[in-house]
Amino acid sequence: MLRNAAIIGCGQTKHSGRRRDVSQAELVSEAVHNALEDAQVSMKEVNALVVGNMQGFGGVAQPELWIGDWIGAPGKPVLRIATGGTTGGSVGQGGFYAVMSGLYDIVVATAWEKHSDSKEAGATTGLLHVALANFFHAFGYGLSMKNLLATSAVGAAAGVAAYQARFYMHRSGCRSEHFDMVAAKCRRNAARNKYAHLQWPNCTPEDIHKTDVIVHPFRMGHVCPASDGASAIVIACEDIALKKCQRPAWVKGLASYSDEENQMQSESGGGVGVLDPSEQMGCRLSAMKAYAQAGIKDPQQEIDVAEIYQPVPSQELFFSEKLGLFDEGKAWIALEKGETEINGRMPCDPSGGVNATNAIGSSALQRILEAGLQVMGKAEDHQVPKKVRNAVAHGWGGVTNYVTVTVLGETPAPRR
Amino acid sequence: MAYLKDQRRETMMVEGSWNIGAYRYKGSTQLQEYVDGLKEKKLIGSLCPGCGKVIVQPRNICGRCHRRMDKRMVVSHKGTITCFVISPPIEKGKYKIIGIDPVEAGIIQEGAILVPVFVRFDGADSNINTILLNSSPEQVHIGMRVKAVFVENPEGKLSDLEGVEPLKE
Repeated sequence: MLRNAAIIGCGQTKHSGRRRDVSQAELVSEAVHNALEDAQVSMKEVNALVVGNMQGFGGVAQPELWIGDWIGAPGKPVLRIATGGTTGGSVGQGGFYAVMSGLYDIVVATAWEKHSDSKEAGATTGLLHVALANFFHAFGYGLSMKNLLATSAVGAAAGVAAYQARFYMHRSGCRSEHFDMVAAKCRRNAARNKYAHLQWPNCTPEDIHKTDVIVHPFRMGHVCPASDGASAIVIACEDIALKKCQRPAWVKGLASYSDEENQMQSESGGGVGVLDPSEQMGCRLSAMKAYAQAGIKDPQQEIDVAEIYQPVPSQELFFSEKLGLFDEGKAWIALEKGETEINGRMPCDPSGGVNATNAIGSSALQRILEAGLQVMGKAEDHQVPKKVRNAVAHGWGGVTNYVTVTVLGETPAPRR
Repeated sequence: MAYLKDQRRETMMVEGSWNIGAYRYKGSTQLQEYVDGLKEKKLIGSLCPGCGKVIVQPRNICGRCHRRMDKRMVVSHKGTITCFVISPPIEKGKYKIIGIDPVEAGIIQEGAILVPVFVRFDGADSNINTILLNSSPEQVHIGMRVKAVFVENPEGKLSDLEGVEPLKE
């Protein structure tokens, strides 16, 4: 790495289903002002911005045109990044690149989503782009409506998640009841996080089990909400971080990889060689690269807390394995033992995670932000009750194949 | 900061519609080869000279080794279920997909339980996502042997392959 960078400030908005009281710009400005205040930095000192939301989901296609004015940053360089569900992860990493390369000293990275601006909570504007448009051309080859309605839901993250869950259950021995346990844990953790959306103190797996089946193996209680919200981080180079912040969260490693499309159909209508969409090779590769940069040899021992992108509970389980936090196929056993609870051996998503709060563009940046809070010791009621040396943040999206992994720690990465 | 907020207390909505037919695609010739195969009740895939994988439906470039996949292969009608999900009984007025209620439109019968599956046809190294027919949610399992079900008179359309049904071997 050319030079070290660290997160010196974090800001979020309260997440909820409908923030009708603000426009997108006002929503983002809440998060950015909170982050600047937390970092004790003024917008004048900020050199550049990295911004992003899921293309089209907010119904506004060029947010970079107006956002600068609203967060007090007109005239500053803006880099906009949209990589689907991973957007926030890419925005965060874009910010790190900008500082670590020496291009800028202080950068604000912000990502957001405002589902309620679209009538069908993201479906109308967003899914047209990411899912329907992908297979519209199949109508030209006589795709039947029955087949489309029954199977082509696999063409988006929500659809492929159900198949991922089945594959994971089959190869690991995990059952639908374990999904109840993960979802209940996320609701309980969210209740301790004042910014989270689906807060449910004392939620039990039985509570989740009482909800309707959407498509077996998933119940309504397993699925994330569609949230309005924004998050922002202030990233600074080493000199400034040491001056401005008592306990910065150092960026120790970051990587993003993609695999073949995971939606069982490639863009051109052909098949894909990925037989199991929960294989997620991109996650394994990203984790290996990021750990190597961070000097981490045994993630099971050296990582203290994980923020995993998990709109559905099965994803927390298999992604935690792909991140090397548990042996392959064993995460659900650790779950049974309570190891992933806030006070467990390997806390997963103490914030409640994406399962409790999903403002899509923001979600993966929130993972970085929450991992940062844990390192900085500023996670308040959901702070894990142990020393956090290293925290890992994960993002998932793209064509359900694109993954970002970021490792944050209390000290900078060893120099190579 | 609260300039617009003071003027307007809530976001506003404007009624309107969006023409989804406005998108343009170049399309792909290998999908045409696939549906031409369906017309003869053949399942066509492409062979990768690098890793030896046979991908159904065919594609031009291998996703993993990025070699050209010029050779076409015909795979078996028989296959194995590698993954499945089970819908609850489909109710009228409960779901809308791209604005269509599948029961109201007569596409799916009220009360029907759908079992979408991944099938790996013998000779293929990829899954096809389709529907399990002539079976029940109790019967379906990973590893279940199935065979392709075609419409009576295939016309060279994706809908020629109706789904798969249990195979007795």
